[in-house]
Amino acid sequence: MELLVIMKRTLIVQVVILFLFCLSVPGKAITGQDNRMELIKVQDAQGTTLEVRLPVKKLVVLTSDALEIVRALKAEDLVVGINTGIVKDPLFWPRLKHRPAVGRWSEPNYELIAELNPDMVISYARHPGAEMEKKLMPLGIRVIRLDFYKIRTLEKEVKTLGRILKKEKEAKELTAWYQRKLSWVREKLKEVNDRPAVYVESYTGYHTTGPGSGGNEICVLAGGHNIASNFSIPYPQVTPEWVLANNPDVIIKATSLSNCYAMADPGPLRTTRHRIMARPAWDNIRAIKEGRVYVMAGDIWTGPRAIIGASYMAKWFYPDIFKAFDPKELHREYLERFQGIKYQGVYVYPSL
Amino acid sequence: MLRVHGLHFRYKNIDALKHVGIGLNKGEVLSIVGPNGAGKTTLLKCIVGIVKPDNGTVLIDGKDTSRMKRLDLARCIGYVPQSTPSKFPITVFDAVLMGRRPYIVWKPSERDLEVVADLLRSMGLEDMALRDFDHLSGGQKQKVLLARAFAQDTDYLLLDEPTSNLDLRHQMEVMEMISGMVKKKGMAAILAVHDLNLASRFSDTVVMLNAGRVFCSGKPMEVMTVENIRSVYGVEATINQNDGNPYILPIRPVGRLKK
Amino acid sequence: MCIPHFRYFYMQEICEQYRGLTGRKVSFMILLVVLLSGVGLIALSQGASSVGLKDSFAALFEDSGVAHAIVWKLRLPRIVMAILVGCGLAIAGTVFQAILRNPLASPHTLGIGSSAGFGAVMAIVFGGGLYKEYLIAGNAFLFALLSSSLILGVAKLKRSTPETMILAGIAMMFFFSSLSSLFQYMGTMEEVHEIVFWFFGSLSKVGWKEISMASVMILLPIPLLLKWSWDFNLLAAGDESAKALGVNVTRIRMVGLVVASLITAGAICFTGVIGFIGLVSPHITRMVIGGDHRFLLPASALVGSVLVLTADTLGRTLWAPQVIPIGIVTSFIGVPFFFYLLMKRTREYW
Repeated sequence: MELLVIMKRTLIVQVVILFLFCLSVPGKAITGQDNRMELIKVQDAQGTTLEVRLPVKKLVVLTSDALEIVRALKAEDLVVGINTGIVKDPLFWPRLKHRPAVGRWSEPNYELIAELNPDMVISYARHPGAEMEKKLMPLGIRVIRLDFYKIRTLEKEVKTLGRILKKEKEAKELTAWYQRKLSWVREKLKEVNDRPAVYVESYTGYHTTGPGSGGNEICVLAGGHNIASNFSIPYPQVTPEWVLANNPDVIIKATSLSNCYAMADPGPLRTTRHRIMARPAWDNIRAIKEGRVYVMAGDIWTGPRAIIGASYMAKWFYPDIFKAFDPKELHREYLERFQGIKYQGVYVYPSL
Repeated sequence: MLRVHGLHFRYKNIDALKHVGIGLNKGEVLSIVGPNGAGKTTLLKCIVGIVKPDNGTVLIDGKDTSRMKRLDLARCIGYVPQSTPSKFPITVFDAVLMGRRPYIVWKPSERDLEVVADLLRSMGLEDMALRDFDHLSGGQKQKVLLARAFAQDTDYLLLDEPTSNLDLRHQMEVMEMISGMVKKKGMAAILAVHDLNLASRFSDTVVMLNAGRVFCSGKPMEVMTVENIRSVYGVEATINQNDGNPYILPIRPVGRLKK
Repeated sequence: MCIPHFRYFYMQEICEQYRGLTGRKVSFMILLVVLLSGVGLIALSQGASSVGLKDSFAALFEDSGVAHAIVWKLRLPRIVMAILVGCGLAIAGTVFQAILRNPLASPHTLGIGSSAGFGAVMAIVFGGGLYKEYLIAGNAFLFALLSSSLILGVAKLKRSTPETMILAGIAMMFFFSSLSSLFQYMGTMEEVHEIVFWFFGSLSKVGWKEISMASVMILLPIPLLLKWSWDFNLLAAGDESAKALGVNVTRIRMVGLVVASLITAGAICFTGVIGFIGLVSPHITRMVIGGDHRFLLPASALVGSVLVLTADTLGRTLWAPQVIPIGIVTSFIGVPFFFYLLMKRTREYW
């Protein structure tokens, strides 16, 4: 018995010593864990399952959409490389604008990336092409493709990135916020059965947004009836006459004006709206007669802030239902709470 | 009467023509002979105004051609170039009708059509009037270009090697057409010719060019001498006579060419 | 002139045959006019709205209602512009081919189209304001002229041959395409989208204002070109022959190039790049009626108009309400037709 007690005690002591040892040199212990490669399995935007080695400490982010999410997850410090477009919008990216740029989002410079030697590169699902994996994988750089521009898949992708960056808590906070706002809009729209007919025009003139496009997605989400919803391609060209024949109640024009955050004057958006309203024969369209033509900046049209765009649309479609609701406040909340920058800029015209 | 005085033409720092002077009267045929690069084609081009000489004058019936309008000149001198266009997407009739261009504003008149039709008939081209120029044989093409020059209805006609690349029969036909037209209409023709025998046989005057200079000129018998041919062409030849025309039989190249 | 009877008879017969040939050329043009009117009527009756042929005709003359707006402001401008553009590109192509004596010449292969395109792109990127359309058009024209004068400059510097001109044109095409790509590369998203619109080619943005400008640029020079038909014919005979027949070859080449550039700019500055028409229309026409420019010029203008109008009408009806961009359709109908003629042709016209 004595012996047994002694053995037990020894075991306890050993365990305690081991425990203390672990506490006293935590760095070393983690390094040891690192060497054993903590692998997790994630699904990227294309549905491919990938193994990712954690932790990810150095990150090159090729898309501004992903960069926004990275910032929302408070992982800004991990970013060692950005795309060249970020530099053009310094006000929106006060802390990231000076990080090294590695080229365009669609055509990065692989040499620069290799030099930065990140653990991971985040890009869109389709751009750049498969050559990126071919070039970077041999260098031990993981490529992960996450879009962050479709509302439908946004939450899932945010969670994935949260796991990769070990920011699960922040990811959950962001997705919960999204869910809350979305379900609030959905709830409000439940009672509606008379949906307005909407013509949504993408960045290029007379190119509308069919099924599979972000424009269609947010229009439907906002309770609109997209007159191009039965089309077969995402960005079809249409004739002016087709729009006229469908006589939409509302016209939404997306403009890909850059630097909306730094903008104070709505002039360019006003011009865009004016030109749409002046199109030949369109004065016969209900939306134009009633002045329900709205211009929306690309910033809130797709990407992580598509929910803001959708909220504006909901307000335009149903001004009575959303009378007390101000999408600008939603935008402010998002920017200040998740992006850590103050609200400013011009995103829609006419403003509410 | 066509007179050329002191014609001088430089091209790329080389004197292609040096103080060339020739003259001929209506009803005459003048042949310009000489080795390759002697300046035969350049001389013709200077006379017809395709290139501008650096010096010298060309007088037609006393008028200085450099002061004439291009269109007026086109009513005085016809020109048949050495090469036929490689692609000429047009019918034979239209090709000949082009010769009437100096007289047509937009729509060709009845007379224009008749002139063309008459020429085609008299030159034996009536069967191919509506065929495409590109489908003709070399000899036929040459005749069509000749017909075009005739249709131009000019007093003077310049022809650059009208018989090159033609078979014997076509050579004879073409030369007879030219001399026939000259005699019939009282025209005057200047030919650049390689074939010394053809030149002798059909010309009233022969001008022998060498290195841009008139080496000698005169009646065929006076120009086609053993000595001249030796010094200009560097060829030993014998000259026979037949019907008052010299016949040249080249034998062998001799010595080095003097330039 | 005293002509013996039999000789006169022969002559009359040849003349008669020739007149018959001319008659056939005229008939071809009449056929084209009928065809164009037919396609025009179809185009007028087709559209996304329920306005049919009868309604269109009624709407043409009564001054009210949506049908009136559809016919007068949407369908007719589209039809008229299609005809203008086709006519302009084909005429410009014919003139370029004639003055450079080169079957490969056309507004686009000479780089005139690309430089006009670059001018438009430049206006898109740097321009702004309400008059942006006019800026785009004007700049397109400016650059069309610039590149044609560059080609002329090259031609004057070195003794001009058709080959050097075409080479200069191809070089120009690459240069301006690259410049446009550079702008597209550096441009913001919005600019890129407008550039894309321009390069697709579209008749959707056309109104009567644009049409009046384009028709001044395209139609006004046509009588002048028709007057020069004989000179163009003679150029085919070779420069020397042409000169000897009284043509001022240098001048006709220069003025022709400038006029054709003006027409090119007019044809593409409001509608973007609609390629292929300028190259193929003259060839199609030449295969049918031959190379006499008195007939070739108007007939190929008609062929171009028929091609563009047909392409646009098909583009907006085949897959309605989605539109197949006109540049794509012109190639899809033009290329097979062109190949058919190439196979069937009996004439060796280039």
